[in-house]
Parts: sequence; structure tokens; C-alpha cells
Amino acid sequence: MIEVILSELGEGVTQATVSYWHFAEGEHVDEGVDLVELATEKATFNLPAPASGTLKNVYFDEGEVVKVGSILAVIE
Amino acid sequence: MKLLDRNPPWLVKRLYNTENFVQMKSILKHYKLKTVCQEALCPNISECFSQGRVTFLILGNRCSRRCGFCFVKQGSSLEFNPEGEIVNIAEMVRMLDLKHVVLTSVTRDDLPDKGAGHFARVVREIKRIKPTITVETLIPDFGAEENLIGGVCRSGVDILNHNIETVPRLYPLVRPQADYLVSLNVLKLAKEFGSLTKSGMMLGMGETDSEVLDVFGDLRDVGVDILTVGQYLKPGRDNLEIEEFIVPEKFEFYKKVAYNIGFKHVSAAPFVRSSYAADEILEQIKSQGIFSNRQPL
Repeated sequence: MIEVILSELGEGVTQATVSYWHFAEGEHVDEGVDLVELATEKATFNLPAPASGTLKNVYFDEGEVVKVGSILAVIE
Repeated sequence: MKLLDRNPPWLVKRLYNTENFVQMKSILKHYKLKTVCQEALCPNISECFSQGRVTFLILGNRCSRRCGFCFVKQGSSLEFNPEGEIVNIAEMVRMLDLKHVVLTSVTRDDLPDKGAGHFARVVREIKRIKPTITVETLIPDFGAEENLIGGVCRSGVDILNHNIETVPRLYPLVRPQADYLVSLNVLKLAKEFGSLTKSGMMLGMGETDSEVLDVFGDLRDVGVDILTVGQYLKPGRDNLEIEEFIVPEKFEFYKKVAYNIGFKHVSAAPFVRSSYAADEILEQIKSQGIFSNRQPL
């Protein structure tokens, strides 16, 4: 089980809004593919999947604000 | 599923969630050094830091000007320690065994020499400890004073960058304390002092095609060798609004036109910033046989 963590975004950026999940819970993801899109005040980022597996437990829906350091989802 | 305002797909940057990114930040903190990457919330930061690329921000982290696009803090640089900065940059260059260094700074109109002397001293120290290194300086305008520009050029700088930023019509909004002709003169003087010169523009601030092409022409007229063109992104609530998202095809068009009028290297794409992949640009310039490593005079 691998946790998808939002570890860093940039200096002084402490949170981001989940703007798009490229996959839904239960779908298979490959390591390195764009998993979730996150919007900050200045820019929008795609966070790649840290491992291959099934996307489980998406903890933040689109539109929700996530703090740096949070677990976004779990890949099993 | 909730529909949100999303950036166009070409303005979504991949996040490099790597240990190197985190490590680079802690090294910078250790040496008490600032980077424009951090101070300006650069969207490329995770990519660049992961690859060991940084652009040092010297002369403190408070700017004496208030440009509409910029996120760097305004005010007086009380914490600035010139000697410490020189020693620490040199030490970091040595420790990371950097091959190419980019230095930029806040504008320091409050200093008698506007900070030009400090730029030159940092470059000289870097070249002293590692003569094979290449150094690029992205300088403020120094009022286009010949002796100040000359002092930086003679310090061993390999590429002298000064950003024109936008079209002259938008200067009162974008760079209210700057002057388009002064900036062109900075680049002209640097060329006369024998530097390879570089400049950059941000697009999406309301400029027209023909205004952009006029700026390209002006830059070539003063001999600018390297051009960077990227999309302006609004870094904070109080900054200028984005007027337009420039499509990638338009960047390709500008790139083609810029090459046609004689620039030796052109980077034009949404996430291009003035020091983005600066080392790769230099490698490309070297392959054209028009580069020789400069040493302090």
C-alpha cells in the first residue's frame, strides 16, 4: 500500500485545491502517470502516481483544499 | 463531479515530488541563500530543484521597485549580508559541483552602485574557485550606467541577461519604475562590452502580435543573442491579471519569427522563464561555436 502524499509545492505554498482526478477509485494506475491535478494561486500542477496499482481511498474530492503534507489517496 | 475553472491543459505543470527537491531547499536554508525560484513562486521549481538547477537571488530579498507582475517582496533589505552571500554561494557551487550558475537579484536603487559591484564580486569569486564554470547574470537595469554594466561584464560573466519583460505600451502597468529604452540600452552596452546577451518577455498581459514582434526587432537591433518567451502567470492577489492564455502554437510562431530575424537561440513555450534550462541553452550555444568561457579581467 502506497500513500499519495502532497509533500511539496513550492516556497510559501501551504495548500492547493484539488482541481481534477485523472482516475476514479477502483481504477488501475501506472507509476508516473498524471494522477491528480492541483491548483495553487499561481499555477496548476499534475502530481504523478508514485506507484502502480489500484487507486483506493481518495480522501479529497475535486474542489477541496488540501494542505501540504496531507495524504491525498492510497494506491494498493 | 464538480466542474471547476481549470487552467488550459498546456498550463498544467508536472510536479516533481522528489527527495532532491526537498533536499535542495534544505541546502539553501543551510547556506541562508535565496532563490528567485522560491521568492517568485516559480511553477518550474520542483523540476529544476530536482535536477540540481537553482537561480540565486542576491542583494537581499526585498526589491526597491514595485513591478505589477512580480511576487518578490518590496522594501529595504535589512538582512542582507554581502560577505556572507559571496562565501556561501561559492561554497554551495563547490559542494554541488555546479557547471552553470545563474545569478539574479532584486533591484537596489537604494545603493550607490545599485548593487552592480556586488554582482561582479560574486561572479569573480565563483570563477576564482572554479574557472571552468559558466556564469549567467540576470541583472536589473542599473540605470543603464556604462561603468556599472561594464563592471559586471568584466567580472567574467558568460551570459548577460536583462529582461525587457513586455511591450513599451504596457511599461506603466508592468514595470512602472523602469524605462523601455533604458533596458534596451543595458543590452546594447553589454554587447559592446563583448558579452553574449539574453533577454526575455512574458506574454498574456494584453500585448498585440505586432507589438511583440516590434520588441523582438528592437532586441535584435541591440544585438541580443538569446531570447526567452513564456506565459505570464499571476502570482498573487495584488498582481496584474492575466489577459490571455497564449496557445502553444502561438509560441511556436514567435519562435520561428525570432529565429528568422537572427536570434541564436530562442526558447518560447508557456512555462519558459528567463533562466529555465539555462544550462541547456548554453550547451546549444556552445555547439554553434560562438562561445568561449570568459574569465575576470
